[in-house]
Amino acid sequence: MDQTTTNPMSAAPRPVAPVFAAGSFALGATGVVLAPVVAAVLHVILGDRFGLPAGTATALSLGGAALWAIAGGGAAAAVGRRLAFYEILAAALVLLALSLGPVVLLLPRLRGLPLPLHAWESQGRVVLVVGLVLVGVASGALAFLGSTLSYLFTGSGRLDPSFGYELYIARSHIRLSPRMLVGLFLIVVTGVVPGLLAGVAWSLWRDAAERRAARRGEPHERPRLPATMLMTLISIGGVATGVWALTVVLSVMSGFEADLKKKILGAHAHGVVLKYGQNDFAEWKQVMDRVRTVPGVAAATPFLYNEVMLSAGNNLTGSVLKGIDPATVGGVTDLSRDMEEGKLEWLSRPSDIPESRRAQAKSLREAIGGREDVATASPPPPKGGAAEPGPERPREKLPGIVVGRELARSLRVGVGDAVNVVSPFGDIGPAGPQPKSRPFRVAGIFYSGMYEYDAKFAYLDLAEAQRFFGTGDSVTGLELKVADVDAARPIMRRVLGALDGYPYRTKDWGEMNRNLFSALAMEKIVMAVILGFIVLVASFIIVATLVMLVLEKTREIAVLKSMGAGLPSIMKIFVAEGIVIGAVGTAFGLLLGLGTCLLIDKVGIPLDPEVYYISNLPVLIEPAQFALVALAALALSYLATIYPATKASRLRPVDGLRSE
Amino acid sequence: MDAPLLRIEALTKTYLLGGRPLEVLRGVSLDIAEGDLVALTGPSGAGKSTFLHLVGTLDEPTGGRVLFESRDLASLDEEDLARFRNETVGFVFQSHHLLPEFSALENVMMPALVGRRQRAEARALAAGSLERVGLADRMEHRPGELSGGEQQRVALARALVLEPRLLLADEPTGNLDPQTADGIHALLHDLNRSLGITAVVVTHNEQLAVSLPRRVRLVAGRLV
Repeated sequence: MDQTTTNPMSAAPRPVAPVFAAGSFALGATGVVLAPVVAAVLHVILGDRFGLPAGTATALSLGGAALWAIAGGGAAAAVGRRLAFYEILAAALVLLALSLGPVVLLLPRLRGLPLPLHAWESQGRVVLVVGLVLVGVASGALAFLGSTLSYLFTGSGRLDPSFGYELYIARSHIRLSPRMLVGLFLIVVTGVVPGLLAGVAWSLWRDAAERRAARRGEPHERPRLPATMLMTLISIGGVATGVWALTVVLSVMSGFEADLKKKILGAHAHGVVLKYGQNDFAEWKQVMDRVRTVPGVAAATPFLYNEVMLSAGNNLTGSVLKGIDPATVGGVTDLSRDMEEGKLEWLSRPSDIPESRRAQAKSLREAIGGREDVATASPPPPKGGAAEPGPERPREKLPGIVVGRELARSLRVGVGDAVNVVSPFGDIGPAGPQPKSRPFRVAGIFYSGMYEYDAKFAYLDLAEAQRFFGTGDSVTGLELKVADVDAARPIMRRVLGALDGYPYRTKDWGEMNRNLFSALAMEKIVMAVILGFIVLVASFIIVATLVMLVLEKTREIAVLKSMGAGLPSIMKIFVAEGIVIGAVGTAFGLLLGLGTCLLIDKVGIPLDPEVYYISNLPVLIEPAQFALVALAALALSYLATIYPATKASRLRPVDGLRSE
Repeated sequence: MDAPLLRIEALTKTYLLGGRPLEVLRGVSLDIAEGDLVALTGPSGAGKSTFLHLVGTLDEPTGGRVLFESRDLASLDEEDLARFRNETVGFVFQSHHLLPEFSALENVMMPALVGRRQRAEARALAAGSLERVGLADRMEHRPGELSGGEQQRVALARALVLEPRLLLADEPTGNLDPQTADGIHALLHDLNRSLGITAVVVTHNEQLAVSLPRRVRLVAGRLV
């Protein structure tokens, strides 16, 4: 019959928004594609122009870019009065195509430009590609987040940010009683297995009670947990586990990083002033005076840097020898505090250095007429006899040297023992240049906690070092301590400005240890992404839970629609539920993470100090990190609600009403 | 004469069932004036419910038009439709479809809350509406704690809480015993008289049909 087809009587079809709108796409693409550009530009402006610390500049620029992407997506949705999913997807694909095509291909040829991407590129093409893909995904996800928010609040044709009856309905869907939440919390806290066992025991006990009641003929009602309720609890547990794992692992990694930073900054200066050219930094005293007046500089000390060999008896090792000024070095590094044995001041007063225990024992034996080959106590005598001082010089006159704990161990020397310093750049002898060697006496042993430093570094008095290396009054450079470690870079730039640049140059601790810290940062990002998958899986459970809820509530959705609930309004119900699940899970996870971190911090998990060079598992609770994890978990939970919520809002009322 | 409140022109509806078209409505045309009280009768499967759904914009017609105050409902977009359902139409379903987790009062408040009224205002409106159907003392009961007649009256109160201009009732007394049904019928008459509500009532109940001023019979998708 002809009525079945569209007939002329039928009016204009219902105005349906197109699946893909050019205007929405343009706005979405502006948000998605330009977000990384915004991040880069903001970083340059904030970091270089305003001189903000690197961490703050990065955080602000990423935040700004995120807002940009969210705003772009929001505008796309507001213009299209739809979620603008396909437009944003297309924009994200455009960004991926742009970054993976031209950027990856052209970047190696643009080495001259100060692009921040070069840092990634220098770590290999895989890192660059993975990084760019992650940027594309993040940018698209943020824009989509913005578009959904905008649709929820403006999709009804007017600004409607309220969650009135929607929350009311949502609460009736997921009735989380305090008892249930406490039970769930305990299950997660106890590491799932004991909690589940307790749950099984509880349910067996209840079964028994039910049977007893049945035998006696008493009425007995057993409360049943609906399937969607169970799913809700499982999703909360999933989010909590993910957030827990993320916060704990990231805090421990931060702990290691902070420990490393502390040790590096303890043993080394926050920045150095160097001079182009070699060994002609004789005007260092004037430079030091000028540097000390730069605001932000807390202390300065000169140093002379050389690589030498140290020998004691048959033991030989390479070492970094620094000439230092014991009077001022304490203001810059922790060296004087790290002294385990002996004193740093003895460098300049070698006559105060006590006799070594070995020499004491020897003189004691001589006094009582003992024989020399009687075994002495600690330290055990090294093979081939102890390091004896040069016979031509009385040992009291020998200048002092401070060595690290591991260095002392490998040379088998203690305070008061003699150590030969051998420099390859020596005097010209009859057969050409010959290495210069000179004995020193160990004035002290330091322990910085960094194996590399304890095994490599040795310190001399500056004047002694200058004499030994024949550099006159020249030094290698100045070491500086700044008031704010995180602002070291801009302060060092100011120092350079105060010195009028060339021939001086400056380096801050970040530059001096760039490889180490960028490797740590990369490790942390990779860890966060991997553990983030737990939260991602948890958000999939949220999707499944909500889809089940939508199916269970089709009739209710239909009734609400018949009362005039619009699409965004129905969406809000399920979005609110997902957010409640995500928020409760996140709160649990944060509590658990915080508790675990405090436990690690207070009780401590011992590590083998020989292997890790640190006695306890370090942990650093960074509020910003916790906040970021919570935000990410909430954002994922929120995004997880969009599909089920859209599904619910698109249900036709008749379908729900007819299914009786 | 003014245009009728509701003009239905050659309304058709065809479902696809397992790939085969099933014609439920085959061209229904009807004018309903403001204040009309129309009984829609007919055998089961004649398309009465479908007709109500189409008029109430819960479903989209395959062909034909529904004009409300000369405005083609097909020209409204989703959000205008939602507003239309909220402000202009009140539905009473055959099996009441109350939300079981909420009390009678909350159920009746719901349309007002959906329409973004303040909670206090919604509560006052809902209390008034429940009073009108004679359930002032049952407000805090949940649907499960009410009898069938009471449930149906709550559903009626819910449909009327925002005083819609059009009431669409799908066999409001279908599951009720005769006495309870009579009560509901009396209520319908009262409301029509006191509020001037236009109502289309689908019913199998001959007694009710006869008592209504206008009767329309639908058989096999056509008016007879």
